[in-house]
Amino acid sequence: MIAKPETAVSKIYVVSDIGGRGDLSFNDMAFKGGDEAEEIYGVEMVELISTTSADYLPNLRAAARDPDSVLIVGVGFLLIDALLEVAQEYPDKNFAGIDTWTYWTALDAGITPPPNLMDIVYEEHKGSALVGALGALLAIHYDKPYIGGVFGMEIAVLWKFEIAYKWGAEWAVRWYESNYPSEYAAEPSTSIVNTPIDERVLYTYTGTFSDITKGYEAASVMYDEDAVVVYNIAGPLGLGINQAVDEIATAQSLTQGPPFWIGVDANQDWVNPGFVISSMMKRVDFGVTRATELVRKGLFRDVIEESPTGMLLGIGTEVAGIPMDGISVSTLADLDEFIEMGVAAEERTGESVLPMTPDEIRTTAAALRAAQPSWIWDAVAELEAKIRTGEPIADFDGDGELETVPAATTQVAVDYWRAIFGTL
Amino acid sequence: MINRIVKGLRDLARPVGQSVFAVLVGLSIGALIMIISGNNPIAAYYALFKGAFGSLSGWLQTLTFATPLMLTAITFAVGMKAGIFNIGAEGQVYIGAVGAAWVGGWIALPAGLHVAAATAFGMLFGVLWALPAALLKIWRGVHEVISTIMFNWIAFYFAIFLVGHLAGERAELTKPAMTSARYAVLGESLTSVIFVVIALCILVYILLWRTRTGYELRLAGSNPDAARYAGISVRRAILISFIVGGLAAGLAGAAQVLGGHPSWALFKGMGNVANYGFMGIGIALIGRNHPIGGIFAAIFYGGLLNGRIAMQAEAGVYSELVYVILGIIIISLAIPDLLAIVKKRFK
Repeated sequence: MIAKPETAVSKIYVVSDIGGRGDLSFNDMAFKGGDEAEEIYGVEMVELISTTSADYLPNLRAAARDPDSVLIVGVGFLLIDALLEVAQEYPDKNFAGIDTWTYWTALDAGITPPPNLMDIVYEEHKGSALVGALGALLAIHYDKPYIGGVFGMEIAVLWKFEIAYKWGAEWAVRWYESNYPSEYAAEPSTSIVNTPIDERVLYTYTGTFSDITKGYEAASVMYDEDAVVVYNIAGPLGLGINQAVDEIATAQSLTQGPPFWIGVDANQDWVNPGFVISSMMKRVDFGVTRATELVRKGLFRDVIEESPTGMLLGIGTEVAGIPMDGISVSTLADLDEFIEMGVAAEERTGESVLPMTPDEIRTTAAALRAAQPSWIWDAVAELEAKIRTGEPIADFDGDGELETVPAATTQVAVDYWRAIFGTL
Repeated sequence: MINRIVKGLRDLARPVGQSVFAVLVGLSIGALIMIISGNNPIAAYYALFKGAFGSLSGWLQTLTFATPLMLTAITFAVGMKAGIFNIGAEGQVYIGAVGAAWVGGWIALPAGLHVAAATAFGMLFGVLWALPAALLKIWRGVHEVISTIMFNWIAFYFAIFLVGHLAGERAELTKPAMTSARYAVLGESLTSVIFVVIALCILVYILLWRTRTGYELRLAGSNPDAARYAGISVRRAILISFIVGGLAAGLAGAAQVLGGHPSWALFKGMGNVANYGFMGIGIALIGRNHPIGGIFAAIFYGGLLNGRIAMQAEAGVYSELVYVILGIIIISLAIPDLLAIVKKRFK
């Protein structure tokens, strides 16, 4: 390494995928992480937005050529090929990909995975199981037959969400059965407990992470079928789901759900307080700050060597011996920092982003949670505790062995679980 | 001989002057926007042009960005020469890319032949997608603006449907083109497909200005009544303009796949082919609807697309600004004609 003059500020570069700034979830979370790294570690963050796939390589190269850059983060799996290419071109620079699997892509292509390129991956399945349980518990409470999920492109990462969401719903039904046996037996026919196991979750792969209309269309159908909640697993399509909920709310003069929806990646509870019951938070921002910390401590490449398939952030995970979570179900305490994200978006675009004042958001979100019976939240907390210890939890595939939340990342695995929990 | 050259230069001076004027207007208003938003335009433009043209690697990347734009500019330009407002390049690029991805990724052929066949199929698919709009125009008089806009949308969803059947191991990409179907990397992201692209631009120039067919096409476009009187088939001219446009747009799609280092594939959301067709309209206008002018205009705009990265990294100016600049340039290009109309009115 070349010694740098003392005055030079170290820079971290965050290169977005074509979702770019303003998605209020995945990409914005990465930039939020960059902002936090600026504050905590005194680095300077430089944002590079990609507007087409042709921008990935030149953006990453521009970052790598800056003599002051110490870490270059590519946000999203679309950058896999470009990250691999540029990481090999600049072996002295540190690269990280959020949600990428460059290690496997390199092996498939017959090249050595670069020692300067880190995949940052998340245990989305664990968070999805929790919101699946939350959804099913709400369906039990409100005597609704279904919960829904609107997915983006059918990629392996999303299979993890899908299967675990269904698994969590099953866990909730079984939990209710053993904790409230008499109520369980008396549930009306419209309750989710009386829906066959392979029909409880309505889901659609829309094939897009950008076409908000498709989120609206898919969610409208689910709410028409009387789904109590729809889980957004397609970033900005949540705004389409929200539109569907708003229509119902306006038609029936509701100020509070049901119907509900569940946010993803960021804490989206503020988008429509009263109707967003919770969010499955995937802390992409922690990925960026954590990678910066590792670079600062000189541990970045050690962690890659130690866990070549990627730095795993989830529930109860550890990196370099330090506990480091990256997945959680949003709580009221998380709300403030994400309201700030909306405020920042308003300042940047000049458009109104927040649906009401920050104080009103806080009160409305708190009232929504308080309106749900406490046993729902207790059950979710119970499942979370089990997941955190890593103990086997339940046997839903009937193979005679208890399993933890399944992480379905292959076609074989997803087909196996769909045979139990239902397919389209 | 010298007279001819002088006359040629004089003929050239006016359109080139107008384009340069429009570009300057675009850059000035871009600078104004930067000042209003609190950025330093001199630093920004310095970073932009140094990034785009200040080094060999800058040039190579600029040419990479310019490659598809040279072609989609031709689609629009040839249409204009035939009196047609063909804005269907966007969809033809998608379908061309699908054709190239299919032959490049799925059909094993000997090296050399493979890349040629995949390229040819991309171009052929582009033409096939151009034909319905052409035939609707010729037979039923359906206005090409309406039909091509609609076919662009159909192409988008049809291409997304088709790539679902061209999947490899990666969900976000088609199966990558085999090594035998890839153009060689020259440096940065630039591949040797640029030579094929420039050759096509020159061929289109020769067709338009050095052949009888091209003369007829231009006459049919500039004065259809005179063309009919002279026994020229205007319908044939329209058909040829659509076919040439489809070939060019199809090649643009093929170039993004077979020359698409490092993925060598079509992104399933059309991420590496989207918008080039629409940008090509602006490029064609800057290049005065001339295939060779289009090359220069594409290199200029490719430079903006490349330089905006340095502009964002070094001067902190949001890179979307270059799209604003392109829009202003296009509006400015209309100013001379607008002035002529105003002058006539108030004479």
